[in-house]
Amino acid sequence: MDNLKELSKIQQYAAQCMKCGFCSFFCPVYQEERTETSVARGKNYLVREILAGRQEFTKEMADIIGKCLLCKRCVVNCPSKTQIDRVVVGARAEMVNKKGLGFIKDFAFRKVMADRKKFGRYVKLAQKFQWMLPKTEGKIRHLPDFIKGLGKRNIPEIADRFLRDMVKEVNKPQDGKAPVMKIGFFSGCAMDFVAPETGLKIIDFLTKKGVEVVYPQDQNCCGAAIYFSGDFETGRKLAEENIKAFEKFDYVVTGCGTCSSTLKDYAKYLSENEDQQKRYDAFAKKVKDLTEFVVDVMKINLEELKLKKEFEGKTATWHDPCHLVRYQNIKDQPRAILKALKGLKFAEMPNADMCCGMGGSFSVYHYDLTKKIADKKMAGIKATNADIVVTACPGCIINLQDNVIRSKMPQKVYHFLELVE
Amino acid sequence: MIKESSIEQFKQIVGKDNVLTSKESLKSYSYDGTTSWIHEPDVVLFPTSTQEISAIMKIANAEKIPVTPRGGGTNVSGGSVPIEGGIVMCFTKMNKIIKIDKENLTATVEPGVVLMDLNMALAREGLFFPPDPQSFLGATMGGIIAENAGGPACVKYGVTKQYILGLEVVLANGDVVNLGGRTLKNVVGYDLMHIFISSEGTLGIISRAELKLNPLPKAKKTIMAVYADVAVAGESVYRVLENGVIPDKIEFLDNWVINRIEEMMPMGLPKDADAVLLFECDGIPESVEKEVEQIVEITKKHGAIDVRVAKDQAEADRYWLARRAGFAAVFGKAATVLAEDVTVPRNKMPDLIRKCKEVAKKYNLEITVLGHAGDGNLHPSILTDINNKEAYDRALKGLDEIIEATVELGGVLSGEHGIGLEKQKFFRRVIDPNVTNLMKGIKQLVDPNNIMNPGKIW
Repeated sequence: MDNLKELSKIQQYAAQCMKCGFCSFFCPVYQEERTETSVARGKNYLVREILAGRQEFTKEMADIIGKCLLCKRCVVNCPSKTQIDRVVVGARAEMVNKKGLGFIKDFAFRKVMADRKKFGRYVKLAQKFQWMLPKTEGKIRHLPDFIKGLGKRNIPEIADRFLRDMVKEVNKPQDGKAPVMKIGFFSGCAMDFVAPETGLKIIDFLTKKGVEVVYPQDQNCCGAAIYFSGDFETGRKLAEENIKAFEKFDYVVTGCGTCSSTLKDYAKYLSENEDQQKRYDAFAKKVKDLTEFVVDVMKINLEELKLKKEFEGKTATWHDPCHLVRYQNIKDQPRAILKALKGLKFAEMPNADMCCGMGGSFSVYHYDLTKKIADKKMAGIKATNADIVVTACPGCIINLQDNVIRSKMPQKVYHFLELVE
Repeated sequence: MIKESSIEQFKQIVGKDNVLTSKESLKSYSYDGTTSWIHEPDVVLFPTSTQEISAIMKIANAEKIPVTPRGGGTNVSGGSVPIEGGIVMCFTKMNKIIKIDKENLTATVEPGVVLMDLNMALAREGLFFPPDPQSFLGATMGGIIAENAGGPACVKYGVTKQYILGLEVVLANGDVVNLGGRTLKNVVGYDLMHIFISSEGTLGIISRAELKLNPLPKAKKTIMAVYADVAVAGESVYRVLENGVIPDKIEFLDNWVINRIEEMMPMGLPKDADAVLLFECDGIPESVEKEVEQIVEITKKHGAIDVRVAKDQAEADRYWLARRAGFAAVFGKAATVLAEDVTVPRNKMPDLIRKCKEVAKKYNLEITVLGHAGDGNLHPSILTDINNKEAYDRALKGLDEIIEATVELGGVLSGEHGIGLEKQKFFRRVIDPNVTNLMKGIKQLVDPNNIMNPGKIW
């Protein structure tokens, strides 16, 4: 046990499973593969076997632990409340301790993503060469078959200019009056590199409502892909940088559901001592997803929100990002916003809270599964006859847009604030 | 160990992706829903057709390889644990609903169909499959039939065997037989089909089933009755029934379970109550209203201290969620749980509950009781720790006494979980040797090499 530092921390959670197997019904991966190692009960059992000294950290074990979307559907439906997300992430962290990250992740997480400036330079470099990829439509390009690892998919174009290069550090309320509130805006990587216009839109919206929005240039990646893959060391480095960057703000607001949940969860996964725990907890309290910030903190009169002309008469459906609906229990706020927009029709899709299949780096390694899981999402969208799909996580937007195009469906996917005038 | 050449043959039959032999895979097919039965198979196979099952069985029979059929692995008897190794034949990929026949109120299914998936598909046609084992989120039809599963709705609707019209079975030697048929009435020779229902996978493999269905009831209502005395609650059950009201469910929670549920997810159960009964009535709206009125009246008359009728579906769902959480509440609180499945004639239930309390006192044990009160099927659970010898011995003694009392009261060892490995030792003690020998004779006839789920039942 002494040499299983991360696993010993999650032992209590692993012990909770009573092997009823109900998780199989809720697991998107099991629903496709239908094997025991796909599902929470199987993964959890194998982690217990490691803890008991009867199982090694084999390559297959790494694959099994890797093949989880961390969508938490099993967790919220578990009769004995087993926190399988903590078990899976803890096992990944132990795996990293024992076996290292592997060349690709090591390079991506530690050499690139953890260094804000370098990350930007690499993405810039990629941006310069993306003309080589054929365009599908508008700002979507598809990766041709020769990039075998990623399969054939439609990815958004990297923006010409990043948000960080376009945005002022301090953005005063537009009415020139004293700010009603002062917040730190956390963009997240996707809004920085791929969808800076959404970031600008959020800042514009908030400053119109009398909020002073500060964009600290020394903010870093939230760390989701990094610490959910088990790289706690780099995760901590990012946590410390972000906490420092937002030190002087009462609220840290982000328009990315995954970022908001990841920032809130530093305390849950990364703290190693009481001091860290305290600081991470305090930071978590300041973090607000844009949906909850608008509805619960600013308490904006939603009736006053105006729908953009181009969406007049359209029907919208809402996709619940896992990181909002299950990680933060945010489901009513975005619906309230959509339903309040006059001129927009709202249609609930039957499987709104089902994972879209993205799961961050999951979709890089298991794109075939991602597509199958997304197929079910697409069927749900189709059933609503909606014109547009609305959500609040750039990761979901990228994946949903890819699959809408792949399924030859007419819908476009939007961040909810893009609908607001 | 299985010969490498047999494994190669299996790969040709089901495809190499449907043959698992890695250490990790074998481990993850070594358990079921019980706490203490673990044994790894040598190989896991996922057939997807009757032909594939038959081809596998021919090899297994020739090589005398044990075969343990498995579906969702949600069973709580050790039944799907491959205790002698060999093949785990897993049906989770053979899961097609072949036909839903609205005119005849029947459905044809493959063994790997999950009950919840089936009922969701049936609901779209206004139908349902009434037996409701509480593992419906993961339990597959093959296992449900092989274990003759039941659940709360048994009070009114009965158990699985009453809803099977026909079975296609692959025998140990690979022969495929069709038993029963598609009609409600069928008296053509011996009723062999029912031997396979509750055979726990020891006689053959159910490869297809013809199910009898009911139309979905139009209305449902839930009533919660609170009692200061467990035994009085037990009496309320048969008072309601003898007055001519047949609710579809009557479920029972004791004080310990109520409090654990409230700790896990507060939902307004009365924490100081000694016992709670949950009733559900279903049918046409007018008759449901009438039945609810009668139940309120009868339970009040016979000692309920509080009776609440759920105002809406949300409140009803809360109560039933609490009931389903009952087992988790129990299992989450002890290292080892001896969860029993004893069943007594309904009017003996207060006696059995009293006995459980006595035993708890006598051996200084924590014993909780919940279960399907409507059919006398109780789940007394003894909380213990298999690693603490002294405590575990006391638990076993207590369990012995509960089983003995059950048999004395005219009851049976298992109402719905089956014998498997978990209840073998009691089976040997309470079943007439002549009856066991008859069972063994049938087994010998159908499976002379004893390869079908060996080591189970007796």
